[in-house]
Amino acid sequence: MSVAQLLPIIIALPLLGAFINGTIGKKLSKMVVGAIATTVMAAAFGLALTAFFSVQHGNAVTVKLFTMLKTDSFSLNAGLLADNLSMWMTLIVTGVGTLIHLFSMGYMKHDAGYYKFFVYLNLFIFAMLILVLGSNYFMLFFGWEGVGICSYLLIGFWYQDFKNTLAARKAFIMNRIGDLGLLIGLFLILAKFGTLEYGELANAVLVDKISISEWMIFGITICLFIGATGKSAQIPLFTWLPDAMAGPTPVSALIHAATMVTAGIFLTVRSNYLFELPGADITQDIMLYIGLATSIVAAFIAMRQNDIKKVLAYSTVSQLGMLFVALGMGAYTAAMFHVTTHAFFKALLFLGSGSVIHAMSDEQDIRKMGGLRKKIPVTHFTFLIGTLAISGFPLLSGFYSKDEIIAHAFTHGTWLYGALMFSAALTAIYMFRLYFVTFFGTFRGTHEQEHHVHEGPASMTLPLIVLAILSVFGGLLNLPGIWLHGQAHWMTQLFERNVAGMNALPKHEGDSNLALMLMIVAGAMAILIMIVTYVVYGKKGSLPVADEQLKGWEKLSAKKLYFDEIYDVLFVRPVAWMSDKGSRYFEGAFLHRGVVGLGQAIGKTGDLVRKWQTGRTDSYILWMVFGIVGLVVYYLIYKN
Amino acid sequence: MELLLFILPVFFALSVLVMPQSFVRVYGLLGGLATLVVTIGLICTYNVEGGMHLFISKNWIPQYGLTLNFGYDAVSLMMLVLTSGLVPLILLSNYKNELASNRLFTSMVFFMQLGLIGVFVALDGIWFYIFWEITLIPIYLIAWWFGAPERKAALVKFFIYTFVGSLAMLASIIGIKAFAPSFAYGDLIAATFESKEVAFWLMAGFFLAFAIKVPIFPFHTWQPDTYTKAPMAGTMLLSGIMLKMALYGMIRWMLPLFPEALDCATTPIIVLATIGVVYGAIIAIKQGDMKRLFAFASMSHVGLIAAGIMTASVDAITGSVLQMLNHGLVAVGLFLAVDVIERRLNTRQLSDLGGLAKQAPKFAFWFAALAFVSVSVPFSSGFIGEFMLLKGLYSYDWIIGVVAGTTLILGAVYTFRAYQLSMYGPVKFEGFSDLHWSELLVFAIIIITVVVLGVYPAAVIDFVEPSVKSILELVTTSTPSGL
Repeated sequence: MSVAQLLPIIIALPLLGAFINGTIGKKLSKMVVGAIATTVMAAAFGLALTAFFSVQHGNAVTVKLFTMLKTDSFSLNAGLLADNLSMWMTLIVTGVGTLIHLFSMGYMKHDAGYYKFFVYLNLFIFAMLILVLGSNYFMLFFGWEGVGICSYLLIGFWYQDFKNTLAARKAFIMNRIGDLGLLIGLFLILAKFGTLEYGELANAVLVDKISISEWMIFGITICLFIGATGKSAQIPLFTWLPDAMAGPTPVSALIHAATMVTAGIFLTVRSNYLFELPGADITQDIMLYIGLATSIVAAFIAMRQNDIKKVLAYSTVSQLGMLFVALGMGAYTAAMFHVTTHAFFKALLFLGSGSVIHAMSDEQDIRKMGGLRKKIPVTHFTFLIGTLAISGFPLLSGFYSKDEIIAHAFTHGTWLYGALMFSAALTAIYMFRLYFVTFFGTFRGTHEQEHHVHEGPASMTLPLIVLAILSVFGGLLNLPGIWLHGQAHWMTQLFERNVAGMNALPKHEGDSNLALMLMIVAGAMAILIMIVTYVVYGKKGSLPVADEQLKGWEKLSAKKLYFDEIYDVLFVRPVAWMSDKGSRYFEGAFLHRGVVGLGQAIGKTGDLVRKWQTGRTDSYILWMVFGIVGLVVYYLIYKN
Repeated sequence: MELLLFILPVFFALSVLVMPQSFVRVYGLLGGLATLVVTIGLICTYNVEGGMHLFISKNWIPQYGLTLNFGYDAVSLMMLVLTSGLVPLILLSNYKNELASNRLFTSMVFFMQLGLIGVFVALDGIWFYIFWEITLIPIYLIAWWFGAPERKAALVKFFIYTFVGSLAMLASIIGIKAFAPSFAYGDLIAATFESKEVAFWLMAGFFLAFAIKVPIFPFHTWQPDTYTKAPMAGTMLLSGIMLKMALYGMIRWMLPLFPEALDCATTPIIVLATIGVVYGAIIAIKQGDMKRLFAFASMSHVGLIAAGIMTASVDAITGSVLQMLNHGLVAVGLFLAVDVIERRLNTRQLSDLGGLAKQAPKFAFWFAALAFVSVSVPFSSGFIGEFMLLKGLYSYDWIIGVVAGTTLILGAVYTFRAYQLSMYGPVKFEGFSDLHWSELLVFAIIIITVVVLGVYPAAVIDFVEPSVKSILELVTTSTPSGL
């Protein structure tokens, strides 16, 4: 089958799974439901692989499905685009997605809403595939909002606890703020280019080189970036992501680590040629600073969190921040590389944490764990690999991908390099703290929990092992030049081949000696931090103390820098206040009273007039005479 | 065949009065469907590319300039199909109520339909006015006979409000006649005014009538009270179809009649409508009564439509037609959802509700689907409608576009607050029975229609756009009479 035929099938498969389970899933056994959902995913992955290999060396393929609407000024098409960027994202989404579906079969086994969970998961994949495979910004926006909806549904999956539904609502609303920005970006693009098709847009910018004012470009790119801050959890719209951990853990792995949150990065890479135009350099700077601030702030907050998922959530925010630093420097391939490895090791860590939570009978506080190393060895070992990978331990995937960003930062400016290294150091510290506190020391849970601790079924351990292998060897995808005798990286070549704009970028030729040196420094730092944290948390067995006893920076970190409280005062309360007072005073007292007052005034006048209607002929004649006299006088005086 | 549009509602309105009580529900549905079939037939046979299909055109009382002109174009047809589609839907959603087997109620619904159809096909100023007023009587009686106990004050307010607006419009219609040979649409459109001021004040009369009915901020204070005090079917008729009369009136009458006055009137109206978008949404956030909440939400949504229409751009007006269809369907669905709760629990205060999702999973699903559709997510017609409206507003003035765009955010806030407070959380009532088949059918029809139109909006857009263009040609080509 040709790629043009494959693409619609790849998208339709998850939808089919959702449809089957959504209609008859309730009656099927859990095994069948999970099998259907996972099989469609695996099939989609298989087809995506086929499509990837046939597109890889050739030209991008565009498929037009149908015209959704067409007016004189613009048309919106349902179309799909397969180039190396979209296919690469598709592989991540379907590949990691398959593993997480498999994991969920074991993890959600005892849940009453089992079939619903898989319906939502499949729907999410469907929306995510539309996002990455769409051939225009309009399709992207469809997927963009679609994943937001699925995210809402999955965060609030355990709706019996009202807190979870609040987290879901928060995520949805914050995402919508970003969506408005993106929507305005689309209006701007439409106004300027008259099309939302990637192909036509790239042609206009790269081939025709039409002239665009700097303000316009700034407007477009900043709007796209505002959209990205919502979905990819950047300052100021990041606080929904940690709260989103209220959802089941596989959801956190799939949506809030590996796929949906990288949509903002995908959007930027997809529009790279816009970001390279004059005028967009301000946006790039904004992106860089916001990303850097997010990276450090989130890493700082993660230092003193004790909920295993919260630590990973802030870690995700921090890594996403680092990705935006890369994008701000124009290092698109490096960003995509890190997106890939991050998807591997962060999905691994989240699933690992899920396995821990599963083993601990739904306990999430690391202070009540400890000593799990021997009890759940597969989880322990794979979690260790994930921790090493994210901390930048030499030769693991995170080491290469992070190093590429840091090397770019070094050439960009030494201060930036320092700041990123600081963020990376914090990452290593809180990750090893998490690891040692959870898996080392003595067991601190209840007796019942201890009795119950067990490794999950094969459906849970298998994805962990696969992801662990990928986390170790993922770095091979884009080995740095010095390992390849100066040849260009595999991934760099891949994206330069048929992704619009990527081959027009200025080549980044790093000095190989410098790169080597930076790698040694980064690797040494990771190892050093591992040793120190081992001494503190592993050997001495010191434990995080209760939040109330924390002082100074530790308290700030534990309290998440009071972001939620500040937003509450700045935004939530004023709107609630306006709504409350508005309906009571403006709507009720002012407008209502005003109208009623008007009515009363008219009524009074009526009363007054009625008094004249005496019904007596003589008084009418009297008034008539007055009237005639009045008219005569009027004409005599004014008209002559 | 077109005459059936008048004959059928009159026939059913009268004949239902003598039907046996047990047959009224089914008879009402049949009557609604009959008109729907006729309307669909008209849509299928409509082939005047964007033009007006006049099915009656003759003089009536020439010495007063009164004519008999009735016809439709694609915009009218969309409004007709909305009307004739929603009437059976509203009757169906009341199927479980006692109201549905009430002869007077069903009769009034058909009278209402007659008035609405008349408004959408009238091409004579006086007939437009007559039908416009006719609709007032049945809706007033429905609310008066079947509404909440404390309805009187609200209804008086509603009546006075809308009546004042209508009279202003009548005055304007007669005023234009001073510049035209007859009341026929074409003649009124061709009329040119002696000065800009005259055009402006004549337009103000129309605007008042429409602004009250839509309602546009700050002419809305009748709306929340009337919506809450009217029986649910009345609220559905009001928000689902009746306010579309005003939006339709803006497109068909206000824009083409007074192009001279547009340049000074457009911006203030758009600003007011946009204020309404944000104001309605903000007020909705903290409402405790679900019906009142959705009343303000409705005001917010239609404010956007009104603002979009006033930009007088093809895209925005085409989008507004789609959005009117969408809003009609979704409003009926949301008010039905409130009614589902109220029928079973006798309350619609959010503070009393909670935990319904657990007891009524079907209801939870369809209500959730409606909630998403009402915040205009992709794959729903609301999204396409809002996209086109916001795009139009955005190109008119970007600040207004951004301000109106906050409806995306605020809409999510109040809709999901209402949904979550009622459906989630601790269970406060035992024995909440799940959806009746008639309720489920209504929800399903609404959602499926909205999704189909959301995936393939071209079905409506392509049909409507030529007509919108010819209307807008009237706006732009009318000579501004030597000003």
